Amino acid sequence: MADHVAETREAPEQGVSVAQVSMTVNGTVRRATVESRKTLADTLREDFGFTGTHLGCEHGVCGACTVLVDGAAVRSCLMFAVQADGADVVTVEGLTPPGGGLSPVQQAFREEHGLQCGFCTPGFVVSVTAYLRDNPAPSDAALRDALSGNLCRCTGYQGIIAAARRAARELAEGAS
Amino acid sequence: MSGTEAAGASSPVMAAGRYIGQSVRRREDPRLLTGRGRYVDDIVVPGVLHAAFVRSTVAHGELRGVDAEAARALPGVVAVLTAADLNPGLRPMWQTMMGPQAPAAPFRPLADTDVRYVGDPIALVVAENRYIAEDAAELVAADIEPLEPVLDTGAALDGAASLVHPELGSNLAGAIPAAASPALDAAFGDAAHVVTETFYQHRYVCVPMETRGLVAQWDPASEQLTVWAATQGPHEFRAICARILGLPEARIRVIMGDVGGGFGQKMFPMREDIAVVLAARRLGQPVKWIEDRNENLLSGGHAREEQMTVSVATDDAGHFTGVRAEQVENVGAYPFPGNGSTAGAGCLIFPGPYRIPAMSYDAKAVYTTTCGRCAYRGPWMMETVAREQMVDVVARRLGIDPLELRRRNVISPAELPFTTATGMVYDTVSPAETLEQAAALIGYDAFRKEQEAAREQGRLLGIGLALYIEPSQSFGPLGTEGATVRLEPDGRVALIMGTASHGQSLETTMAQVVAENLGCDIADVTFMQGDTAFVPYGAGTGGSRSAVVSAGAARGAALGLRERIVALAAAVLEVAPGDLEVADSAVAVRGDPASAIPFAKLAALAYFEHATLPDGAPTTLEVTERFKAPPFTFSNACHAATVEVDSVTGHVSILRYVVSEDCGVMINPMVVEGQIAGGVVQGIGGVLYEHMVYDADGNPLTSTFLDYLLPTAAEAPVIEYGHVETASRLPGGAKGMGEGGAIASPAALANAINDALAPLGVHLASQPMSPSAIVTAIMASDDARDHHHEEVLREWLG
Amino acid sequence: MKSAPFSYHRPETLAVAVGTLAAFGDEAKVLAGGQSLVPVMALRLGRFGHIVDLGQVGALRYVRDDGGSIAVGAMTTHAAAGRDPLVAGSVPLLARAIPFIGHFQIRNRGTVGGSCAHADPAAEIPVVAVTLDAEMEAAGGAQERTRRIPAAEFFASTYTTTLEPDEVLTSLRFPVWPGRSGFAIREFARRSGDFALAGALCAVTLDAGGRIERAAIGLLGLGAVPVRAFQAEQAITGAAPRDLDMTETGLLAVADTDPPDDVHATSAYRRRVGAAMAAQALTAAVAEAQAGTGATQEAADG
Repeated sequence: MADHVAETREAPEQGVSVAQVSMTVNGTVRRATVESRKTLADTLREDFGFTGTHLGCEHGVCGACTVLVDGAAVRSCLMFAVQADGADVVTVEGLTPPGGGLSPVQQAFREEHGLQCGFCTPGFVVSVTAYLRDNPAPSDAALRDALSGNLCRCTGYQGIIAAARRAARELAEGAS
Repeated sequence: MSGTEAAGASSPVMAAGRYIGQSVRRREDPRLLTGRGRYVDDIVVPGVLHAAFVRSTVAHGELRGVDAEAARALPGVVAVLTAADLNPGLRPMWQTMMGPQAPAAPFRPLADTDVRYVGDPIALVVAENRYIAEDAAELVAADIEPLEPVLDTGAALDGAASLVHPELGSNLAGAIPAAASPALDAAFGDAAHVVTETFYQHRYVCVPMETRGLVAQWDPASEQLTVWAATQGPHEFRAICARILGLPEARIRVIMGDVGGGFGQKMFPMREDIAVVLAARRLGQPVKWIEDRNENLLSGGHAREEQMTVSVATDDAGHFTGVRAEQVENVGAYPFPGNGSTAGAGCLIFPGPYRIPAMSYDAKAVYTTTCGRCAYRGPWMMETVAREQMVDVVARRLGIDPLELRRRNVISPAELPFTTATGMVYDTVSPAETLEQAAALIGYDAFRKEQEAAREQGRLLGIGLALYIEPSQSFGPLGTEGATVRLEPDGRVALIMGTASHGQSLETTMAQVVAENLGCDIADVTFMQGDTAFVPYGAGTGGSRSAVVSAGAARGAALGLRERIVALAAAVLEVAPGDLEVADSAVAVRGDPASAIPFAKLAALAYFEHATLPDGAPTTLEVTERFKAPPFTFSNACHAATVEVDSVTGHVSILRYVVSEDCGVMINPMVVEGQIAGGVVQGIGGVLYEHMVYDADGNPLTSTFLDYLLPTAAEAPVIEYGHVETASRLPGGAKGMGEGGAIASPAALANAINDALAPLGVHLASQPMSPSAIVTAIMASDDARDHHHEEVLREWLG
Repeated sequence: MKSAPFSYHRPETLAVAVGTLAAFGDEAKVLAGGQSLVPVMALRLGRFGHIVDLGQVGALRYVRDDGGSIAVGAMTTHAAAGRDPLVAGSVPLLARAIPFIGHFQIRNRGTVGGSCAHADPAAEIPVVAVTLDAEMEAAGGAQERTRRIPAAEFFASTYTTTLEPDEVLTSLRFPVWPGRSGFAIREFARRSGDFALAGALCAVTLDAGGRIERAAIGLLGLGAVPVRAFQAEQAITGAAPRDLDMTETGLLAVADTDPPDDVHATSAYRRRVGAAMAAQALTAAVAEAQAGTGATQEAADG
């Protein structure tokens, strides 16, 4: 039996080349009118002023543009803002704890010198935050594999791996 | 106030103080971790327009015409500018450290009569946003009649090849001819062994995670140019704009905010940067250009591609008696700085840490129709890559272990100060100590046993060393840096420097230096850099010079301010300055803590209550110091790597990676290790993953991250550090070290891989050493290829 | 690197999606997870006047037991499929292939159907489909109804499938291999998460006597489409594992392949590594089948 029987083909609505999008960004509903081809990354940076999300390659390899969309870490350069209409988006700016300061992951990066120029850092912080939330006790190999989706050119990854490990440990201790 | 202090080695060196020698956590981090850095693309300038370049898709050709009509007609397009619009009326362009006479490619912002590499900028589109600018760029039709590309340095130099730059009359960009040396000839004539090998290093790209970019704004009323730039050298950016536009430097303001890495690519403004400045001036509106990654890989500046033939003469025991080096560099079409050659530095540093009585160095730099060279972390490093691989080749030929051969030839402590055959004087270096420390840390002898046992099981393990000397470059215009230290009215400290820190943590390390020398809490020091309007002149951050020159300036200024503060307190307390001591932002009579006057009080006296002060009490609580360093300060290190090579897949696993580093007194050990690590992984990337490739027509094949592969956290080894601290003779005892990680790592890794492959009769003298290259070499070295393949597979599965 | 302009469609039902494709023909392109398509658009290597985003067509996201097969909706993300207990329990080869796909951020958006429709010969999902003799289902097209396409007939060439321009891939049906079966994937990539230079997927079932009753060997990156090593499969069917020369089998598996030469590897290299990967995958799959544990996660890593 076929799952999807498309005997009736519905007439499509006209597509849009410009659209008004609305999404929750870092807890606040934000709206913008954007071309349909405008990426989520560009919209976050230009329309909403969250410049913490960076563009390192614009073709989905470097991970500097990583944000959370509906809780999942994704490359915002590979999404169009129109695809995120109605979504819940969290950028690096949204990871600051309510009272200010640094989140446990951010603090771990500072302790372990996990950044130098800082350009790749927001992407790493968002990725690590999401990853550890879903994988609280990763093995060393699993952690390195998880980090391999973000590129860094300054640190040689030593401080980044140490920071992720430290964050995992401290989050686990905090949770228990 | 300026000063040069050349303290002897007996001067007291800063032992780990309250701040010096401490791994102080970085002041930069809170804003960078929370996404509040301000990189050039974050800058919002009202009315800004956005630029995109039209670039040549042909490596070499006559540019017959540019049809921009359709592009100009696109809604949202403000202008499409070509060479006719931007090139005329410019005065000569030259970089400060090179000087106006240095050989260089002709400078033109946009291609005019012809194109000379794929990516050559032909036109500049300025539009309301980058999306529209790219749409318009696609509509510009460049009529190019292709010419024969010039890709190979050998072909470029033979008479038949076309000229990359016809106006220069030759594809030879520069040459350093080997000096005649009868002593060298004699050494080769008398040698027990002469070993010759040619090493090839491929084309790399620097790839900072942030691409190039700038916002340029020209104010016609005041005739002032403002540029926000992703730069490693705001003053150089300013100087070059001033030069070519004929403007006073003080009417050009270059502002550097946070910059996402440079590694040399952002040291000098290049053609696109200048084109955008010119466009902003012409249009009277601010123009922003943010390079995309494709452009960055195509046109941002390439590096390394060169070969070196080394001949070594030795006596019976493997002591080097003479060395000849011949280098050919491929500098592309539009290199920066000057002609892109690094041989001038390479020829001085080539002897490295060894006793080499006589040597010659012959170098040629060649133009080709490819992207031009830019500086890249240790640009001259082919000298180490070739020399260190050569040491292993000689060792293998002579049947001496590579560690032992190094031991026999390395400069020993007793021989210091040592003057090399090239006139470099090594005084406070420790190559022999780092060699031993690295060998001990990696367990060299134990590894050799492990390697032998593994070979019996058919596994290929290898160990490689690389020993080198690294110069901090503070010669000529790089020789000074400035710092202003000011006590603010509230008693806290402003530190204003001409640095361009973009990952080197100077915001933290320079504050450490000032806090230590001034006697205040580091939290009270606020660091400012990067705005040419108010910082002292700086030569740019790069060249491993910050810990020497910039720290020297910070230290000198802090000590100068301390002296002023003490003098003021002495006047107030009516004691001699020598009776006073400074601690915790207060000045007190020695032994009488109750007499302490806080800095805040002294500041208030100087700024507001000066009427109460005795005559002649110093009230200028601000000191600017320009520190002059000697032309070179030398640090050194030894890298050691162990690998396993899979003979079926050619995969190289790095088992361990050790660095024994001597950079003198470390201001912040955490920062030092971070710099080493970054360089090491760049070197690993170069040997195993990164390769900028052109096809036979000069088309780049690796112009995205899908093909130009950077190492990730999964490929990076754990890096282990040993430190030797031989203080420099400079006050503070520090030395620079930022480039070293990238200088030695390719050699250490190449040596380890070749050590692993030696039993198969395989030696790779070329990089990169990709899995495919390794396997191809293995397969080529077998007579019965398929049989061996099966054998190998059987062993591996068994 | 900004995409060229396009008209964006966001249907909420499959019917509307199909209708849109029919209306705009060659100018329309389906957008699934975007992890492969958006880079193509950003680099302007491809431009489409109309983008039909299936992201809101919830009816295409599911994993169901279809009696003898597991049906995976085309818009199921790799991440969701990788977490699904039905996939882990009933199609272990798919479960084990998923961690090799890119990085976790890619897997959060990339879809099982999108990967097949994109048809990169070094992608894992297409080779899983071909190895297991999966069946694709597509809706739309001139026939105005659903069509079932065996995986072996789905992939035409690099980046090219046999889908009509106005067809939408709606689901993949992966047969469940019963009995004493074992599964393995072995691939070699230059870096973690890269497309493999060469790889092999293997599914094997043993009969009551421990002989190979059925074997499937699929090859990654060794041709313009996923390749089944039929010669090698036939050679080992009916054999007792201890009589097998795995190395020979691996060599046989790649014997007819003609993989590309490119900046990353030569053709000869790919075949050599492919042979080794096939041998290793077969060894592991047989070992798992022999252990009699059926579908387990033990041999999950490559």
